[in-house]
Amino acid sequence: MSEMVGKLFGWVNSRLPVSNTFERHLSKHPVPSKVNFWYLFGALASVVLIIQIVSGIWLIMPYSNTEEEAFASIEYIMRDVDYGWVIRYMHTTGASMFFAVVYLHMFRGLLYGSYQKPKELVWIFGCTIYLAMMAEGFLGYVLPYGQMSYWGAQVIISLFGAIPYIGESLELWIRGDYYISGITVSRFFALHVVALPLVLIALVFLHLVALHEVGAGNPEGVDIEEHLDDDGVPLDSVPFFPYKVLNALVGIGVFMTVFAIIMFFFPEGGGYFIEMANFEEANPLVTPEHIAPVWYYSPYYAMLRAVPDKLGGLIVMGSAVAILFVVPWLDKSKVASIRYKGIYSKVALALFGISFITLGYLGTVSVTEVRKTMSVICTVIYFAFFLLMPIYTKYEKTLEVPKRL
Amino acid sequence: MQEKDNTRRKVLIGLTSAVGLSGIPFAATPFIAAWNPSAKAKAAGASVKLDVSKMQYGQQIQVAWRKQPVFVVRHTKESLENIDSALPKLADPNSDQIEEPYKGQNPTRSKSSEYTVMVGVCTHLGCSPKYHPEVEPKPWDASWAGGFFCPCHGSMFDMVGRVYKGVPAPTNLPVPPHFFDGSILTIGEDGGTA
Amino acid sequence: MINNQLNILNIKLSKFFVALGLLISINTIDAAEGGPCKDYGECDEFKYSLNDMASLQRGASTFLNYCYGCHSLQYSRWGRVSTDLQIPEEIFFDNLVFDKSIKPGDLMIGSMSKEQSAQWFGVAPPDLTLVSRVRGDDWIYSYLRAYYEDSSKQYGVNNLVYPGTAMPNVLMALQGNQKLVCKDVPVIAKNGGEKRDDIGNTITKEKCGYLKVDEGSGELNKEEFDSLIYDLTNFLVYVGEPAKAQRERMGWYVIFYFLIFTALSALLYREYHKDYHK
Repeated sequence: MSEMVGKLFGWVNSRLPVSNTFERHLSKHPVPSKVNFWYLFGALASVVLIIQIVSGIWLIMPYSNTEEEAFASIEYIMRDVDYGWVIRYMHTTGASMFFAVVYLHMFRGLLYGSYQKPKELVWIFGCTIYLAMMAEGFLGYVLPYGQMSYWGAQVIISLFGAIPYIGESLELWIRGDYYISGITVSRFFALHVVALPLVLIALVFLHLVALHEVGAGNPEGVDIEEHLDDDGVPLDSVPFFPYKVLNALVGIGVFMTVFAIIMFFFPEGGGYFIEMANFEEANPLVTPEHIAPVWYYSPYYAMLRAVPDKLGGLIVMGSAVAILFVVPWLDKSKVASIRYKGIYSKVALALFGISFITLGYLGTVSVTEVRKTMSVICTVIYFAFFLLMPIYTKYEKTLEVPKRL
Repeated sequence: MQEKDNTRRKVLIGLTSAVGLSGIPFAATPFIAAWNPSAKAKAAGASVKLDVSKMQYGQQIQVAWRKQPVFVVRHTKESLENIDSALPKLADPNSDQIEEPYKGQNPTRSKSSEYTVMVGVCTHLGCSPKYHPEVEPKPWDASWAGGFFCPCHGSMFDMVGRVYKGVPAPTNLPVPPHFFDGSILTIGEDGGTA
Repeated sequence: MINNQLNILNIKLSKFFVALGLLISINTIDAAEGGPCKDYGECDEFKYSLNDMASLQRGASTFLNYCYGCHSLQYSRWGRVSTDLQIPEEIFFDNLVFDKSIKPGDLMIGSMSKEQSAQWFGVAPPDLTLVSRVRGDDWIYSYLRAYYEDSSKQYGVNNLVYPGTAMPNVLMALQGNQKLVCKDVPVIAKNGGEKRDDIGNTITKEKCGYLKVDEGSGELNKEEFDSLIYDLTNFLVYVGEPAKAQRERMGWYVIFYFLIFTALSALLYREYHKDYHK
């Protein structure tokens, strides 16, 4: 029996590089031996991606993408489809967890200089994935066609109207109609279900290939390729399979426990994961009291509201995401990891984190004079972190990075 | 030490794999169950109840069940006595070629000795056969003893829906699950007791 | 090695639970400032009990008798309500389903046409299937008990939780006449204590906006009425998400499974980690 399996495997393997790929990317792929929990979020992100795709496919089956039936089809899934509620909550929880994990993953990048040469392209692919995720999340939220789906779409699409000259035509073109209608819903459906998932999968693939080409980093910022053993394998490395896979497994266990807690006990996340207004069918004649995006967009929403001019707000929001792409060239530091950077970088990163979280909070509450001022201050800190980086990373005193892990 | 490590390793791999794999059927359950007929499908496919006591003898009525027409015929005494008058012309008088739920219980092919319940869709290409109970010569059969005639391609069935020989339709009109509770006929469910 | 592993778990867990704690403590997006219960102030706290079948059954009965005449539950099916609430189908259909042509699989689409009711009331009485998820259970519980006499309004009543509501006080006969009254309340000083005059009597001030029911004007007393509204709200929480009780039950098992899995995979990881320093 095992001889037959062996022969079958040999037949496949001589036509498809199965064992080669397994060795190159898993069992003989060297990764730094000492990393911390910050390095688990990439693996967790791929787990969530898979969860979203599988639950998403199952949601498409009973969902109806027409204006008349969309909202009702969600309740159909929740009530009439056996275990439909499990699949629905899996998808909504997954959406929030996706952003939570990716934000932490990106923060790891800032912490340990994961964008530094030669990983600039890994970082750029990552930022593109983030951009695609934001679009995907927005499109997906419109599909249940609740009050927040409708009015959130209204607000975001009207932002495009702020672009000079082409703004209004662009708005009309995106909507496909003179107001948000079933036409908008069904095209958003196609983008959310097919177009962007394909783009995301392609980008994730490229992100991983680029990473494997140059090798993963570590919290010390040490280049493990500098010290090799007699076989040319880095001394401070372990093969990815089974060691890092097993490490990831623990992370996945913890992650799934949190996922389950949210999914089964707090799926609405107190109104932050599924907004209360979205349990009411879209009504173009009634505006909800508070139009707020879901939590993962709230930092940018706060920035948008901090700027009095519509086009200005759009530019600030766009720049806030765009600036991420050029971080590899803003960081002039000789060292990669925050552990060995100077005091300026540490303070700057801490302030950045605090301001981003504060902006996140401010984006969820209503505007007052005090809050507006805070939003402005935090937006300035956010941009200062990036724009001043070439200066403070170049001139601060850094510590000596060790040679070995 | 090496030996002990190896066994410990194997045990842990085994346990973790066992626990991990045991979760798979549970994780798969919602996805598989989601394919079951939903409450909406069950409501639409639910059984139909009707009171047949008001029917006249010799009358045929039609009700919708699972988007199909179901014929209910209340036979006259005469018709019951002559139920096998077209026997030699029938292709499958004992319903041997089809799955019939209440085979042999009554000459009417149903759970009642007075009513016939059958799906009114011609087994040829799906047209609706017309009820012709009159025992008189017909253009399609000089010695017509009453029954159903399908206008699309000329298939003929007797009073209890059994198909004639030499017609396009291959099999008898199917009998759906049903039961009688007094004069209330429920189509779509078996009712349990014979 | 053990420390390393525990560290990972510790930090990850604590981060996530801090985040969760924040989420749990901010239960609704709006705080009390001009909050959801408007003139009523803070909504009265409501704790659902979806395993209390008797409560849900009473709530269903109240809804079908007093509310279903105007408000539909268009995403809910009759048969599911009787099954989930453990009411034998015959009893349910004989006593609570007033239209005899209704079958168990039918949706509870309501007994009033939307066009006509929009004409009669100015706005069609909204469907209530999801009201507990849109407004919150606290809101419903407070709203139904916050009606008061107001001769300036169309039906002679107004509502502190929803000022200017187009809905009449359907349950007035049960609750009785509720009015807005003024009370003499103690004046509170800056340090939180009651202000007293020279003799030692508490200084009072007249404060208005309190709700009071005229004694004996309703069929039920305050406790009975509050209990009725509790059951009704409880039923609306059920109808908002019929799978809620099952979801919470299942959750424990799933979490338990993942905890076991995490523990085992941690042991396995530690075992392989021994290889690192060979």
